[in-house]
Formats: sequence, structure tokens, C-alpha cells
Amino acid sequence: MGTNTAAVAGKKTFGQWLKSRKGQQTVIIIAFIIIPLLLLFTFTYLPFAEMVKFSFYKMKYVGARKFVGLDNYRALFARKDIVSSLKLCLYYMVGALIQIALALYLATILSMKVKASGLFKGLIFFPYLINGIAIGFIFKFFYTRGFVFDTVLQWCGFQLDSLPYWLKDQSINNWSLVGSSVWRYCGQQMVLFIGAIMSVDDTLYEAADLDGANKFQQFKYIILPSIKTIVTLNIILSITGSLSAFEAPFVITDGANGTGTFFVVMNTIAHTNQKVGLASAMAVFLLCIIFICTILQKLFFKFAFRNMHADDESRSAKKKRVKAAAAQPAAAVKGGR
Amino acid sequence: MKWQKAMAAALAATMALSLAACGGSDKKGGSGDVTEVKYADIKLGEDYTDLKADLKMMTNRTDMLDEEYTGKTWAQYLEEFNKEYPDIKVEIEGITDYSEDSLLRLQGGDWGDIMMIPEVDKSDLSTYFLSYGDVESVAEQVKYPNRWLYDGEVYGIPITAVGRGIVYNKKVFEAAGVTDVTKTPKTPEEFINALKAIKDKTEAPLYTNYAAGWTMGAWDDYIAITATGDAAFKNQKLAHAKDPFADPGDGTGAYNVYKMLYDAVEQGLTEEDFSTTDWEGSKNMINEGKVGCMVLGAWSYPQMKTAGANGDDIGYMPFPMTIGGKQYSPADEDYCFGINVSSPADNQTAALVFVKWMTEKSGYSFNEGGLPLAVGDENYPEVYDEFVANNVEFIANEPAAEGEEDLLNELNADSELMIAANGNDKIQEIIEHASNKDKSFDDIMKEWNQKWSDAQEMDGVEVK
Repeated sequence: MGTNTAAVAGKKTFGQWLKSRKGQQTVIIIAFIIIPLLLLFTFTYLPFAEMVKFSFYKMKYVGARKFVGLDNYRALFARKDIVSSLKLCLYYMVGALIQIALALYLATILSMKVKASGLFKGLIFFPYLINGIAIGFIFKFFYTRGFVFDTVLQWCGFQLDSLPYWLKDQSINNWSLVGSSVWRYCGQQMVLFIGAIMSVDDTLYEAADLDGANKFQQFKYIILPSIKTIVTLNIILSITGSLSAFEAPFVITDGANGTGTFFVVMNTIAHTNQKVGLASAMAVFLLCIIFICTILQKLFFKFAFRNMHADDESRSAKKKRVKAAAAQPAAAVKGGR
Repeated sequence: MKWQKAMAAALAATMALSLAACGGSDKKGGSGDVTEVKYADIKLGEDYTDLKADLKMMTNRTDMLDEEYTGKTWAQYLEEFNKEYPDIKVEIEGITDYSEDSLLRLQGGDWGDIMMIPEVDKSDLSTYFLSYGDVESVAEQVKYPNRWLYDGEVYGIPITAVGRGIVYNKKVFEAAGVTDVTKTPKTPEEFINALKAIKDKTEAPLYTNYAAGWTMGAWDDYIAITATGDAAFKNQKLAHAKDPFADPGDGTGAYNVYKMLYDAVEQGLTEEDFSTTDWEGSKNMINEGKVGCMVLGAWSYPQMKTAGANGDDIGYMPFPMTIGGKQYSPADEDYCFGINVSSPADNQTAALVFVKWMTEKSGYSFNEGGLPLAVGDENYPEVYDEFVANNVEFIANEPAAEGEEDLLNELNADSELMIAANGNDKIQEIIEHASNKDKSFDDIMKEWNQKWSDAQEMDGVEVK
């Protein structure tokens, strides 16, 4: 029957096909999809392609452009300031991991039965609501010699003379900045985790209680497996986000004194020095790094969570099952999912 | 339905009318009827006192339109002007985002008779603005006619100009022997010694304002006229100079300007923690004598004065550098008056009269703390007391040579030094290295010279 209609359709003229149900369907699909595609193309891919093109030129925003081939990419690796700015991402990555651990910890505690949990949620989420510029000012004063942070530490018995200069000392100022960004985003991440934890079926906790599982075991065997997607997503976002850290160093230290991250350096090169070509090359390079990082993380999590579906099945048992399933391909698809 | 039709018709009619009005003004503008009068020919108070004209002027000084303005308002200036020229009426339009909006209005064409010239290409000057005459004739009457000079013709007369030195607390500096206006430090060495002498009395003898960034870039403004006494250095010689940051050996030049900063930081004569400096707070600190001095333009003087109870303690000293026995200060032009080349001839003449009156008789520059503009006018506002007492010479930078207008920008971008163009980072690095003692000053300057000569090579600039 299928081949029959196809043969008939082949003989139809284009006009007839257009009027047929199938033709109408296609027309409507194309008509609907073309608008978002067009928007996506004009505002995302076209500018991106332009930027990639710019990265091969020596150019300013205005004035003549000169094609220089791969010179910008060579300069990228030859320049010490760019390479060293990339290393600063490591600080922010470590910060991101600490932040996730902290957020997950707080989220777990607050989603259990805690007094005034709503108040704590609010207090911890609050920093996310302050705008970035204000945070810059807050932390500039916070870290100023003899101001907030030093005063608090003095209450705890530290001597002012033994405290470092939080933003001046190059061995510590990046940690200070990372601290401010953890303070800011931790609450937001916590709220995301709480949301995910709340979707876990309550009966599972009751069952676990009956079985005598303690809170940590509940976390390990119920909560973590249930929210692993959102944890993975948050880790990926945080790591790629730390590659493009910008706000904290830009607002608090203006990227000076060894705190210029890749984005801050890129901003200076593009806007102060007007080397648009080099800045574009940096953007393309950063994109490649983010791609690589994301793929690596994907692979890692695939590996880390490979056992998650078969919690009550020992590893060797699973191996056996998979082996057995290999003989029957249909079963393998179902088992391996 | 009927009233809708009527509305539509009315709308169409209004639009057609307004279109016609636009066309009309265009025709009037494009008449090509240009006044024969030149700036230098006008004798204020004698010529054109009965001229009738309605002028329109665009200004960036919107604050002066406000009754609440503490200085002299536009209305007060106009009242005085109309005593002498009762029939020249000037309507003033304030524009808040001036540097952007004025360019748009200029291109639109319908902007009135006088404006503050925005950043246009010099080659376009004659298509928009009336020439005040050749530079020789204008220079006989106006001190700083160079800002908008093209092909020997002057297209802009500055509304005011400011000098550059160091804002300081007089009371604090008394301990360093600066007991009257003539005793300000004259050389970098004297300056550093003065800072040492006041070290115990202040929290920071010299406050760098490192964290604000732009306050660091301000140091670049001192390497040209202040450090060389040469009007051609910045726009003509710097681009061709071999190793402009090398030590000339006589305590002058860019090298010694930046070295003052390096030495002050290295010897602990600046604030304890540079990374958390606070620009707004610094104004009060210098007012109260917690800070000795700051290296900033003359515009900062009124702000420091009003930032606390001790306004009388604030002074402004010439930059401590002496070239051949003389100290110099740049005269940096503010916005300049430009007259619409397509206005009717009578309006242009009236506009010339108004600009000349503003320059010579209004006292605008004096009232706003600027340098006197008319040749022969030696009436300096109090901020320049120390400059006058020490015979400091004010010089305006000469414009770049023809065809080289963009050369400095080019070299700045390629070398990434961005001298006097927001190159804040490099000066911040001076402070970092001086504080951490991880790089000597000579090495920094060597690096800059290298960057500069690399850029010169890249752009094929002839090194003289």
C-alpha cells in the first residue's frame, strides 16, 4: 500500500502535491521552523562566522583590515600575558568544585527536617540577588586593610600584622576573588539542588528509615543517584563558567595585579588596544577549550555513573549479564539502556 | 468611521507640513551664503552692535542651564551679552550625552548655528564649520587655536583650557618646606624628598588611586609638555622617537616622570595597600590632610576643595620637573566653539561676535577655573597661583603633521602601551613591580622601548 501511494504521488504535479495532506504538512513545518532558524542563523551563527573571519585579520573596529592568516593564533601562544591568564582558570575551577560540594551539602541538610529552613534558604540565596557591580564594591571594602574581613578575623584572635593583604598579595588575591564568586553563586546552586531533591519520592526515605539507613546512606543511595543529572549539569556549567570568569576580577580589581583572567585580558585587548583580530582569535580558542572540556566531562560522567542503574547488582554480576546479553543484541539494548 | 478618516487626513497633513518644513530649512541652510567677516576683524563693543539675529547653540554644559548651578549660569552670561548686543538672541540647548548625540545632530544637519565641535575627522571640518580665519591672524588674539586646525585655517576656538600639575594639601606640605607658593618642589628629587618629609604626618604622602585605573592613566598626560617643554613632542615627535622611554640623564623626559611614581612606591611613600584605594574617599582624605598629594588634572581641584571642611588647605602645584631652568604645563583645550557653515551669513557674523565675546569678555574660562584664552589676558584663577608665582609656561600641544593624524593611535594600539589613551594597566604594573620589588624600573622602561620600536617597525614608521 505504501509503495502504491508513493508511485501515485510521483505522478502528481508539484501543485497537487502541495495541496495534498502531506504537502500541507511539509509546508507548515517549514513555515514554522524557518523563523526560529532564521533568527538563530542571523543572530548566532552569522556573527560567530564573522568573528572567526576576524580572527584571521589585523584590524580595528574602524579602518582598514589586513589579512594575516594564522598570525593572531601564533601571537596567542607566544604572549605570556595570555597564557598566564589562562592558568588563572584553575583557581576558579577549584572554586567551582568547592562551591558545588558546599551547595550540595547545604541543599541536603536544608531539604531534611530543619527548623527555619526557609529562612536559611533565603539567607544563603540572597547574595545571588545583589548585582555584580555592587558586589564589586562590597568586596573591595570587605578586603580593604583593617576593614570588614580583617576586623572579623581580629575578633577571632588574629593579629592584624600577621594577616596578608587580601587583594595586594599576588599569592592570595586570586583566592580572594574566587571566594567572592563562591559566596555569590553558592546560594543559587543550592536552590537548584533543593528543587531536584524535592522531586525525590518521599516513600523512598520512609523505606530507607525502616531499613535502618542513616542520613548519609540516604544521601548516598537515594538523593545522589536521583539528582545526578542536575549535579552533572551544574558541574559542567561551573567548569565552563570558570573558564570564562570575568565579573569578579573586572569589578573588584580591574584585572590588575595578576588577577586578569582570560576574559579580562580579552576585553582589554579588544576594547583598549583595539586589536579586534587577536581578541577574536582568543574567543575562538576559548570556545575550543570549552568544547574539549565539555566532551571530557561528558565522557568522565558516563564512566563515573555507569553503574548507577544497577545498584543492587554487583559489578561482576553485571559483567556476566552484559556478556550474556551480548549474545542476544535485543536484550543488550534494553539492559544497557 | 468618519472621524477616523478625518484623523488620518489630519495626520497626513501634519506629516506633509513637517516634511515641507524640513525641506524649507534645508534650502535656507544650503544657500551657500557665507559671511565675509573673520574672527580677527571684529572689534567687540564697536562692530555689529545693531545686528539682528536669532542664534541657536548646542552645549554639553547642561548643568549651567539649571538655576541651581553654583557658578554663573548660561542665562547670566546671555544677559550680560545682550547688554552690549541687544538684538542678537541666543537660544541654548543642553545635550546630556554630548559626545555621541552631537555627532548624530551634526550629520543630521539641522542643529543651529554654534556647537561644541565633537570628534570629527579634521578633513571634514570645512564641510560642517566656518573658518575663523587663518591661524596666524587668530593666534594674534587667541592663545590656543591649534585644536581644530586644518590646512592653516582655524575651525574651533576653545571655550576654556586647563593646565596640569599636582593637587596637594598645603598645610601638610608645610612640613616639607613649602611655606609659600614659590617654594613648591621643582625636580623629581625635591618632590621625593618632600614626600619623605611629610611621611610621618600622613597616611599616604602620595595617594596613587591605583584601583580606579583611569587615575593611573593620568600619568601619561605629564610626559609630553611637562617633561619636555616641547609642543611638538606628543603629536609629532613621539611617534618617530627612538627609545622615548630611555633616561635622558638630566632629570626630565618620560623616564623620570614614571620613575617618580616607581620611587615613591618603592620607598613606601604611597598608601599601604594600593589594591583597595578608594577614589571617592580620597577626595575627603586629601581635604583632611590624611593624604599629601595626588597627580591629577586641574579639574580635580574644585572637587578636592569641596570634599570636606578644609577647602582652603587644597592647592595645585606645577609638576616637579624643570627643563632648562623653566617649568611647563600643558594647556589642554576643552570643547571648542564651531560655527555652522550653512547658516545664513548674518547668523554667522552674529555667532562670530558671540564666540569672541565669550572668549574675551565673558570671563567664562576664569569662572570655570580655566586658563585665560585671549592674548594679553593674564588673569589666572586661584588654582594656578603656584603656576603664576613660579613662572610656569603654558603650552598647547601642536597637532600632528598632515597625513600622520592616526599614526600615534596606530602605534599605541600595536605597542599596547596606549599612551594617554586609557593605558592604565602599564602604570598599574609600575606600582606592582615597585611594591613587590620583582622588576627594576630600568627593565620596565627597556620593555616599553622594545614594544614601541616593535610597533614602529610593524607600521613602517621612520625613526628619527
